[in-house]
Amino acid sequence: MIDRPHILWIDEPSAVGSPLLGGKFSSLAQSVAAGLPVPMGFGITTHAYRDFIAAAGLADEVRRVRAAALTLRPEAIAAETRGLIEAIHTAPLPPALEQAVRGAYADLNRRTGETATAVAVRSSGESEDLAGASFAGQYETYLWISGADAVIAHMRRCWAGMFGDAVLSYRHEGRVIAAEGDFGICVGVQRMVQARAAGVMFTLDPLTGDRSKIQIETCWGLGEGVVKGDVTPSQFLCDKVRLSVLKRTIAAQPEEYRFDADAGGVGLYPIEEDRREQACVSEEEVIELATLAKTIEKQRGAPQDIEWAIAQDGAIAVLQVRPETVWSNRPARPAARIASPIDHVLARMSGKAVATAGKAGQ
Amino acid sequence: MTDNSGSASKRFPSLFEVETPAGAEGWQKLYPYYAHISEERRPFEEGKFWFFDGMHNPDPLYPFDMIMTENWWVAVSQMSTRVWALPPAIGIDHRVINGYLYISPNAVTDPAQIAERAEYFARRAGHYFENWDEIFASWKTKAQACIDELKAIEFIPLPDYEPEHSVTSHAGTYSSLDLLKKYNRLIENMLTMGSYHFEMLNLGYGAYLTFREFCQTVFPGIADQSITDMVSGIDILLFRPDDELRKLAQLAVDLGVDEVILDAGGPSAVESLAGSEAGQQWLAALEAAKDPWFWYSTGSGYCHADPVWMTDLRLPFTAMLGYIKAIRAGTDIRRPLENILARRDEATAEYRALLPTEEDRASFDSLISLARKVYPYVEDHNFYVEHLHHSIFWSKVRELGELFVQNGFFEHRDDIFYLHRHEVYDALYDMLIGWSVGTEPRGTTYWKPIITERRSIRDALARWTPPPALGTPPETITEPLTIMLWGITQETIEDWLGVDASSATEFRGVAASAGKVRGKARVITETDQLYDIEDGEILVCRITAPSWAPVFSRITAAVSDVGGMMAHTAIICREYGLPSVVGTGFATARIKTGDMIEVDGNIGIVRILEAT
Repeated sequence: MIDRPHILWIDEPSAVGSPLLGGKFSSLAQSVAAGLPVPMGFGITTHAYRDFIAAAGLADEVRRVRAAALTLRPEAIAAETRGLIEAIHTAPLPPALEQAVRGAYADLNRRTGETATAVAVRSSGESEDLAGASFAGQYETYLWISGADAVIAHMRRCWAGMFGDAVLSYRHEGRVIAAEGDFGICVGVQRMVQARAAGVMFTLDPLTGDRSKIQIETCWGLGEGVVKGDVTPSQFLCDKVRLSVLKRTIAAQPEEYRFDADAGGVGLYPIEEDRREQACVSEEEVIELATLAKTIEKQRGAPQDIEWAIAQDGAIAVLQVRPETVWSNRPARPAARIASPIDHVLARMSGKAVATAGKAGQ
Repeated sequence: MTDNSGSASKRFPSLFEVETPAGAEGWQKLYPYYAHISEERRPFEEGKFWFFDGMHNPDPLYPFDMIMTENWWVAVSQMSTRVWALPPAIGIDHRVINGYLYISPNAVTDPAQIAERAEYFARRAGHYFENWDEIFASWKTKAQACIDELKAIEFIPLPDYEPEHSVTSHAGTYSSLDLLKKYNRLIENMLTMGSYHFEMLNLGYGAYLTFREFCQTVFPGIADQSITDMVSGIDILLFRPDDELRKLAQLAVDLGVDEVILDAGGPSAVESLAGSEAGQQWLAALEAAKDPWFWYSTGSGYCHADPVWMTDLRLPFTAMLGYIKAIRAGTDIRRPLENILARRDEATAEYRALLPTEEDRASFDSLISLARKVYPYVEDHNFYVEHLHHSIFWSKVRELGELFVQNGFFEHRDDIFYLHRHEVYDALYDMLIGWSVGTEPRGTTYWKPIITERRSIRDALARWTPPPALGTPPETITEPLTIMLWGITQETIEDWLGVDASSATEFRGVAASAGKVRGKARVITETDQLYDIEDGEILVCRITAPSWAPVFSRITAAVSDVGGMMAHTAIICREYGLPSVVGTGFATARIKTGDMIEVDGNIGIVRILEAT
């Protein structure tokens, strides 16, 4: 079993860069190793997924469905996958696998000191490693899951999520990614942050590609709304070198995502009148976030897209780090060609337009 | 301003609609004819864009002080029009409205003329850029010679009898012509330095602006201060006076005379110190520091009334007291030069590394090296010209004023500033007539009532708030100084057009120094009010002069009506790390002392949170 672990904690040294954790979670392990404030969690590895598929006798069906996805129209896929998805939800788990998951959740409780630690359960796929294919928004994330039974039920949902019509038909540069291999999936289980505010940040200006900027989008409550797009975030444009705020746009926010004990889940709830128009992060927190983003980019050596949250006590948590894909894949073009600085200055003072290559929005 | 086409049709009030404030009737007599608007040129004057130059002249002009504005009316303009032949712009016109200076940049629009000028410009300006360091070195030599020549001019009383040597040397000219020549030399000396002032300035700004424009293209939205910080030096002369005070404070502690200075609480310490050997040693160091470093104006240098450290020791002593207290509390008050330099280099390298291509990095390198080459002139000319030379100039004019007092023309030597320099020539000739003939000159009865009337007119003008702009907004602004120094861009004009000065509670300006604070406002419209400032207040003024430095240790932010990122102020504001918004247009008109305001120096916004 040692060489086929079902569970890998994100703070284990072997987790860093491990393919067993899929793209998202191995990246988190890298963040933990780099000393970033990441909420604790473990991955139910791609081995766990494959052992389950094999034990349930579903391997051939998986191959058949993937191959079919190549030729089917997206709306016809659901009919093909219905049986497979049903089986993933109901087939018995190999006992060793079930024990491993329950044991890991119990360990998490010990580490947090709680009896039923609220966790986020999400997919972390191998296919995400394909450069440039972000699968943005294609996989569900299940928030505020408590108890081992619920974790296991949502693990199955994540596995089944690999065969959703949108995922199977997801195209990147014209290719149907799902059909390009027998991709496995890791299910990440990570402690929830009781977010006062959350959001995303890019270590460049997403509008212009300018790498001297850090753009931070923030909202009250959990960051789901910013990612989904149903909450209009406030925006802060920061200078990466000076770590100062250059521009702020505060959006009024009538509703926030939060956990509701009565409803037993996460939902969109109204915000009190006096909090709506206020910025959900202080100036100091914006600078702290920008500093964090700059550190992460330096560690990773390229522009990054970072999800974060700030807990009620003000502690910042890094939820996800991934490479920025839009500008990083675009060939860079020089802004201006300046042969002699004196000639250039003379030309500008003469009111002559000097050819500058289009930069923004190209 | 939602209508995009609106700005073209929207206008500022006409120069001819401006009303004379009560009590200021007849103000026109204080200024020469060529500075006035006139009915016969009405279409020309109304068709132009005029903005208030509060940066150099926040207060109504004294007639004599017009020499400064009239100097650069010619000296700046001739560089653009006749010397460099700047292709897109000729000179900057001046008018005096209710005692305040309004100026108007002029564009060249004919393509053939632009092309012709471009040839002159490339050759001439190219020569200066190619030989910048040598030209600047010789500039310093001739500027110093001009200052030395000014120092040598002395206005001494006319003798009862011509000295013996006038006769025995057979000179044939006497004290009357000597005095007249000295006055002419004084004026010519001023105009000489005034001409040197602009010899290299426009080109310096041009090189800097070009680097700034490059930075704004590759790093859209980059803060102006980030660009300035990459270019500016740390050993600039403007910081020297303050450095001298820090050294004197340290010396006072080292010599053990700090207690005496603290007890005196100001310039009166000088008397207490004279009694001890240590005290005398400190006083000797003070004297040594004074020339040239205390020829430091607390204003722009363009107004005789701005106190100068040399003749008003209150400001330097206030600062020294602060430094002495800081040293006693264990603070290291030396400017961390190495840290500042290291941070500058680090930031420059970081921005450079963030450029998208190798080619951009090569462009960045070549433009920043040219900007850094010209920048010492941009920064240091200010000390030579506005502080050192002009402060001495004003003291010389006062010497002449004293002569008029002795001859019964004026009550007080500063009354001379109520006369235009051409009127002073007349009055001087009148005085020479009296001396030559031996009878009472007419000036002894003529000038005093005029000065009394002019003082009351000027006081009435000082209570009026000049609007930021008049006339027809321009289609484009191409004149580099207008953008660099006054911070006037198309956006500024749009903002001014959109704001109702009487009801505004939010002002947009140039973000001159980062940070955001809230606090009580202290509105300063006369330099004397500087002494009213209480710790923790926010300074609100027409223009914050760099040499107000000592009060900067007491305030938490600074706001001004006028100025761009290169305004003399902005440099010191950043040095002190205070949030600052300049070029707000209306702040002193709307904000009252005691109002609770918020200054956001990151984005250039000032808000009135609670009016008193």
